[in-house]
Amino acid sequence: MNTMQPSDSALISLYLAGQESAFALLLERHRSRVFTTILLIVRDEDVAEDLLQDTFIKAIHTLKGGRYSEENKFGSWICRIAHNLAIDAFRRGKRAPHQSLSDNAPLTNKLTVLEESADDAMAREETYARLRELIQELPAAQKEVLLMRHYGDMSFQEIADATGVSINTALGRMRYALINLRKKMAAAPQLYDTSITPFDVAPLCVQRIAS
Amino acid sequence: MIQVLPHSTLLRYVYNELPADERREVEEALVHDPELAATCADLLLAQRTLNGIRREPRPETSEAILRYSRTFMAGA
Repeated sequence: MNTMQPSDSALISLYLAGQESAFALLLERHRSRVFTTILLIVRDEDVAEDLLQDTFIKAIHTLKGGRYSEENKFGSWICRIAHNLAIDAFRRGKRAPHQSLSDNAPLTNKLTVLEESADDAMAREETYARLRELIQELPAAQKEVLLMRHYGDMSFQEIADATGVSINTALGRMRYALINLRKKMAAAPQLYDTSITPFDVAPLCVQRIAS
Repeated sequence: MIQVLPHSTLLRYVYNELPADERREVEEALVHDPELAATCADLLLAQRTLNGIRREPRPETSEAILRYSRTFMAGA
């Protein structure tokens, strides 16, 4: 994260002091993670849009009601709310399946893609849509950890606490989630981001060390 | 060099959850252990690919949230 940006805590203080623009920044900062978390659980774009609103409305009530106590952890807090709402909605949806659950076409129409040709963008959208499908095929416990860590901004310890397991179990589930995804992706190698090759090890390490 | 770092440590490194001293140990090991570096690269690759599927909601949804916030009065 850019260190010149105000922290979430600073934005919350400004928001509670009456600056709505601070909340707009918080929303902009977290909406993508939250929305992706919800979408990967409920698999329906319209439901996900509604749940995103519900999530932030809950946050508004808690913040303006003076009940917020998650210092420095707004990201993981908001994603926990989203995760819980999405799981509830998904369970309701399983009892009364939503008509568009099996229709993945809408999921491919708004990916953020940087400066690609139309063909490249289309191919990438297809592969990302396939990757979302592969995530759905993971065992529930592995998928849960992957979503919480990757899109929910939760640490492995926070995931362990939220799911009632040890941190080693959470780490193990994440490990197997990545192994399983890797196996599935290896069967369809175009799913890898082609801007990096698996053989380009040294630059990757330098990049991580420098970050 | 034989890979001795537990996978869980590498995972926490990739997700930036290690304290500074342990992070330095991992980075030192990465320099000397090509196998570990390759595993790390695989994890980073998976991480970047997973980041690629992140989605944005419709602008109207964000606008509705902001409108709600502007009109919501605590304790009203």
